[in-house]
Amino acid sequence: MPYVVTDLCTGCRYTECVSVCPVECFHIDDAMTYIDPQNCIDCGGCVPVCPVGAIQAAHKLPPDKIEWIEINRRRAGETPVVASRLPPLPGADERKNAILLR
Amino acid sequence: MAQSIVVGACPHDCPDTCSILTTVEDGKAIAVRGNPDHPFTKGRLCVKVNNYEERVYSDQRLLYPLKRVGPKGSGSFSRITWDEAISEIAARWKAIIADSGAEAILPYSYLGTQGIINGLNVGDPLFNKLGASVSERTFCDSASCTAYMMTIGHTPGVDPESFVHSKYIILWACNTLSTNSHHWPFIEKARKNGAKLVVIDPVRSRTAALADWHIQIRPGTDCALALAMIHIVIKENLIERDYIDKHTIGFDELAARATSYTPEFASRETGIPVEDIVKLAREYATTPPAVVRIGVAVERHAGGGQTVRAIACLPGLIGAWKHVGGGLLQLPIWAFPVNWPNLMRPDLQPAKMRVINTWRLGAALTGDLPDGPPIKSLFVYNANPMAMVTEQDKLERGLAREDLFTVVSEHFLTDTAKYADIVLPATTQLEQKDIMFSWGHLYLSYNNPAIAPLGEAVPNTELFRRLAAAMDIDDPFFFRSDDEMIETSMDWANPALQGISLEQLKVTGFARLSLQQPDEWAPHRDGNFPTPSGKCEFKSSIAEGGNFVVPLFRQGYGGDQAGEPVDPLPHYIAPNENPSTSPGKAEHYPLSLISPKSHAFLNSNYGNLPAQQALAGEQQMVILHPQDAASRGIVAGSPIRVFNERGSFEAFATLSADVISGVVVAPAGYWHRSNRKGATVHAVTSPAYADLGRAPTFSDVLVQVTMA
Repeated sequence: MPYVVTDLCTGCRYTECVSVCPVECFHIDDAMTYIDPQNCIDCGGCVPVCPVGAIQAAHKLPPDKIEWIEINRRRAGETPVVASRLPPLPGADERKNAILLR
Repeated sequence: MAQSIVVGACPHDCPDTCSILTTVEDGKAIAVRGNPDHPFTKGRLCVKVNNYEERVYSDQRLLYPLKRVGPKGSGSFSRITWDEAISEIAARWKAIIADSGAEAILPYSYLGTQGIINGLNVGDPLFNKLGASVSERTFCDSASCTAYMMTIGHTPGVDPESFVHSKYIILWACNTLSTNSHHWPFIEKARKNGAKLVVIDPVRSRTAALADWHIQIRPGTDCALALAMIHIVIKENLIERDYIDKHTIGFDELAARATSYTPEFASRETGIPVEDIVKLAREYATTPPAVVRIGVAVERHAGGGQTVRAIACLPGLIGAWKHVGGGLLQLPIWAFPVNWPNLMRPDLQPAKMRVINTWRLGAALTGDLPDGPPIKSLFVYNANPMAMVTEQDKLERGLAREDLFTVVSEHFLTDTAKYADIVLPATTQLEQKDIMFSWGHLYLSYNNPAIAPLGEAVPNTELFRRLAAAMDIDDPFFFRSDDEMIETSMDWANPALQGISLEQLKVTGFARLSLQQPDEWAPHRDGNFPTPSGKCEFKSSIAEGGNFVVPLFRQGYGGDQAGEPVDPLPHYIAPNENPSTSPGKAEHYPLSLISPKSHAFLNSNYGNLPAQQALAGEQQMVILHPQDAASRGIVAGSPIRVFNERGSFEAFATLSADVISGVVVAPAGYWHRSNRKGATVHAVTSPAYADLGRAPTFSDVLVQVTMA
């Protein structure tokens, strides 16, 4: 399980990740995106393009984010693939600014 | 905090040669990422290189010269100075040359770093000048290069970016998503435009799993499939007669040869149903533009060279080359006007040299030599033969010889470096400058150093300057700076470099060769093949001279070639080792073993690093079909032993129907420490050469598997 979307995505869902992913491994629900660990080829292209830094390599996750490995795996099985970029959720820019100021 | 972004290029032996941006803070590299401006690599790296800074700053890095203090192979060393190390090497070499002649010294290297000045040929001028034994490096694509030269010449072929125009794409023995992943978006774009993707592979790889059609083939039988495709397109008149008449030679002879290669014959060899073989040939011939991308694995069996000969005939038969996005892709490296003679300096060679093939290192070190003195000194750089070379037991015995003086330049104390008398610390790509070709796209790259060398590590260029001085060479050629070497590394007057300046390259990090754009590139629309006839040679004129290895892989040396007779028409050579060709052996060792690249390792690179081990597993894994496992009492996760008459290694079993019954898959790249028996898959692989170019035969191996 190499790359993981964490809860920082929640409420923003910029989906910049989807535009760089070569294998359509991103899934989506109303709140955020998830990476399907079966399809992910571990290229890491999504990490630097995420405006809020929500995606990390599994081996670099801090202890309080480890649970997102399992959440990504489970939710990817329950949600549809998103094949192209979507508009961010309302309020995403304000949320991003708040996150980046932290 | 002073932060800067430095543009560089990936050093690895991979087709993609990614443009890399390194973030440097106060002299320390804190992150690497892909350069979003690069039209081919598009801002992504890969599982190997994403954490490159972890490689650079790993606590396993070698930072100082070391001298052996314990028994050979014990890994006990103490620190020495560079002056002591170089003096000792020079003193030993001078004594060996005086006693036995320079041929008692053997260099050993490949593409541990692929940069033009630090890579394949960096040591060639020195060893050519000394008159040491020639290292014939046929690791990769050597059968392919010989077969290509015999058929269509050293052409870059189809631009990988032109695949967006293809309508029928065959990835033949190529797991794109693991080993060429930046090509994938171009294939995906073609599919969105209606292209069909076919993957031919014994394993349902990541790539095969996403294909429109996965054709699962028995290892080492690809040539039978290609010949049957030739048979069908000729018999059913799916050929392009006008193209054949104008731009090929030997059609009538090929047609006569192909008559016996029926789909029924190919089905018996490959295990593919007859109707699928017929369907593949028909679809390929009638869905233009059709393109084939061959992977290195296509050559790794007894008939690997003729396999590439047969595949290289297909586009000429159906006129695929007429179309943008039609034809064949092997190595676009041939588009790069590299100044090879200046890098290798074959003019410095004595008239006669002894050639030792890299796959026969174990034999050479244990006294099995064609002629000349025993090897007294081995100099290894850019390579880790203990992990990656056949006849591991012989190699281990050879490296353990007390009278062998071994020097290894490395990033880490590899399985090979452990046996060294002197270990020298080498820089990583972030600490050195280089200029880079690619064998997977058409962009020339420049690698700016991002940080100062760590410890006392030096680039290979500097290593060979120091050695040349210590060997009392005074030719100024050997003491050029890296910048001077880069300036003379390319033929800048060549049209392919028109409009590209080194100064600009340093800033952008990459530049597309000055060729037609991917939307126009059809290099053989009107023939113009770089062969003796200028045509696609179904019947090869070069074959008359017999088997050979291209001089690029042998320090530029043209003498002492293999020379066995070569049939000028493509033909089928069955695997050396499979149940039908060697039933006696198959009684004891009934399973065909293949050893593809691991998804997380690059050959043995990264086999020691935690991020990649977390993915590949710290211990060697082997994939078995559930039926083959059940009949042996093996369950998922069982420790198993894989063996044949050559040797054995241990692994943990993974069970999957992604492999066909009768085939086992042992990804390569794990180190000895990742194996309970202290061996790698190459303990069981065969030292036999393929038919052309002395390529290895790693997909042509029988083994038995039991519980360990």
